[in-house]
Amino acid sequence: MIRAEGLRRSFGGVVAVDDVSFRVDEGEVVGFLGPNGAGKTSTIRMLLGLLRPSAGSVAVDGPVGYLPESFAGYDALSVRSYLRFFCRLRGLDAADEITPALDAADLTDLARRPIGRLSKGQRQRVGIAQAIMGTPSSLVLDEPTIGLDPAQVVDARAVLRRAADDGAAVLVSTHLLAEAAATCDRIIVIVDGAVVAEERPGSGSELEERFLRLVGRAQLGEDVSGAGGPTDDGTDIARSTDSGAEQPEESS
Amino acid sequence: MIRALVWKDLSAWWAGPVPFVVGAAFQAVLGVLMVNQLQVRDQAVLQPLFPVAGFLLLLVVPVLAMRTLAEESRTGTLDVLAVVPVSATRLVVAKWLATWLTTLVVVVPAGLFALLVSLWGDPDAGPAVSGFVGLALLAAALSGVGVLASAATDSQPIAAMTALFATVVAWFAHVGDEAAGDAGLLAAISLSERLRLFAGGAIDTGDVTFFLALTAGSLVSAAAVVDLRRLR
Repeated sequence: MIRAEGLRRSFGGVVAVDDVSFRVDEGEVVGFLGPNGAGKTSTIRMLLGLLRPSAGSVAVDGPVGYLPESFAGYDALSVRSYLRFFCRLRGLDAADEITPALDAADLTDLARRPIGRLSKGQRQRVGIAQAIMGTPSSLVLDEPTIGLDPAQVVDARAVLRRAADDGAAVLVSTHLLAEAAATCDRIIVIVDGAVVAEERPGSGSELEERFLRLVGRAQLGEDVSGAGGPTDDGTDIARSTDSGAEQPEESS
Repeated sequence: MIRALVWKDLSAWWAGPVPFVVGAAFQAVLGVLMVNQLQVRDQAVLQPLFPVAGFLLLLVVPVLAMRTLAEESRTGTLDVLAVVPVSATRLVVAKWLATWLTTLVVVVPAGLFALLVSLWGDPDAGPAVSGFVGLALLAAALSGVGVLASAATDSQPIAAMTALFATVVAWFAHVGDEAAGDAGLLAAISLSERLRLFAGGAIDTGDVTFFLALTAGSLVSAAAVVDLRRLR
C-alpha cells in the first residue's frame, strides 16, 4: 500500500505540493498525471523519503522498487553486475532474481554489456529490471516508458500488470495518456501541486480530453505534445478544479 | 551491505583508467624525487620517501575521492540507494573504504624503493615499516576528508579542489606556529608534523590517534551531510 495524507511542500515560499492525499492499494496500478512542474516528482520523492514534507504524512509498504525519472546506473558495470549489486544490497538470491528480471525487461542479450554502452531505452529497461527484483510490495516508477519503443512499451505494461497481480501497489508517473489509459486501473491528476481528479481512466481519447480540460490548454504545448495534442473543439478551457470535481470516483 | 558497496566501487573504478593513470603518475614523480633525495644525501636511506609520498598523496587522494558521492548525487543513483534503503553511514564508510583501499594499492609499489635501497646499503627496517604505517594512516585521513568534500557537492572538480585546499593547509599548518613563535597549536594539526615521527621509525600513539580521529570525524561529518542533502 502507498498512502499520502495531506502532503504539502514549499520551496522558498513557493508551494510545490499542496494538501495532496491519495492511496494506492495492493494489486492496483495507479497513474500519476500532470504537466511539468505540477508537483509529481516532489510528491514521489516525499513518498520515498527523499524529500521532507512541510506537512502531512506518508506510508509506503516495503520493500519498495523505485525507478527515478532519469535512470543513470553505473556506466562501468555490466547489466548483470548491476543487478547482482542490487541483489546483494537487498539480500536477494541473485541466482533466483536476475534471470527473471532480465527476461521481463528483455535484457537477456545485453546482460554482459556495460551500462555505459546502452541506449537510453535500454538503460531504462535496466532501471525497470532493478525496480522489480525481489517482488516489491510497492513499486514507484517515474516516467518508466521514456525512451522505449512501442513494443517495449507494451512489454513494460505487462511487467507493471504482473507486479500488481503479484500483490504490489504500483504508482506510475507518466506523460503518456494513451499509455496511462491502457495500463492503469485508476489515475490521479495533479496540477499546480494539488490533486484535481482521481478516477478511472476510460479510453485513451476520453482520458486525453479530460486531461486537457483539467490542466488547461495553455500548459499543454510543451507538456503533452507527444501524447496526442489538444482536442478538436478549440475552446479555451481554463484549468479548473471544478473539472476535477466533475467525476471523482473516490477521494482520499 | 558495505561489502557489496565497496565491491561495486572497486569494480567500477578499476574498470576505468583513473587509478592506473593516477598510480603511474604517483610512482613516477615519487621515483624522480626519491632518486634526487638519495643523490643529495649520498646515503642509502628510506626516510626521505615518506614525506615526499605523503605530500603526493595530498594530490592523489582528492582525485580518487572526488567522484565517490558527488557523482552518485549528480546522476541520481544516490536516491535509488536511499530507497533500498542504504543508510548514509554505511554508504559513507563504503566510499571511504573503497577510496582508502585504492590509495593503498597506488602506494604499495613504493615498497620497491625499500628493496632497491637495501641493495645499495643497509637501511633500518624499523623506519620502513613505521613509515608505511604512517602513510596508510595519512591515506585513511585524506580519504575521509575527500569523501566529506565529495558529500557536500555534486561537482567533482569542486570536491577535489576543496579537499586539496583543506589538506594542503593542514599539511603546512605548523608553518603558522613557526611564524607566530607560538606553542605548537597549529603544529598539532599539521599533517606533515604528524607524519614526521613515523618516517623516523617511531609510532606515537598521539599521532595514530590524530589520524584515526581525523578519519572518524570526517566520516561522521560526511554521513551527516549526506543525510542533510537527502532530505532537503
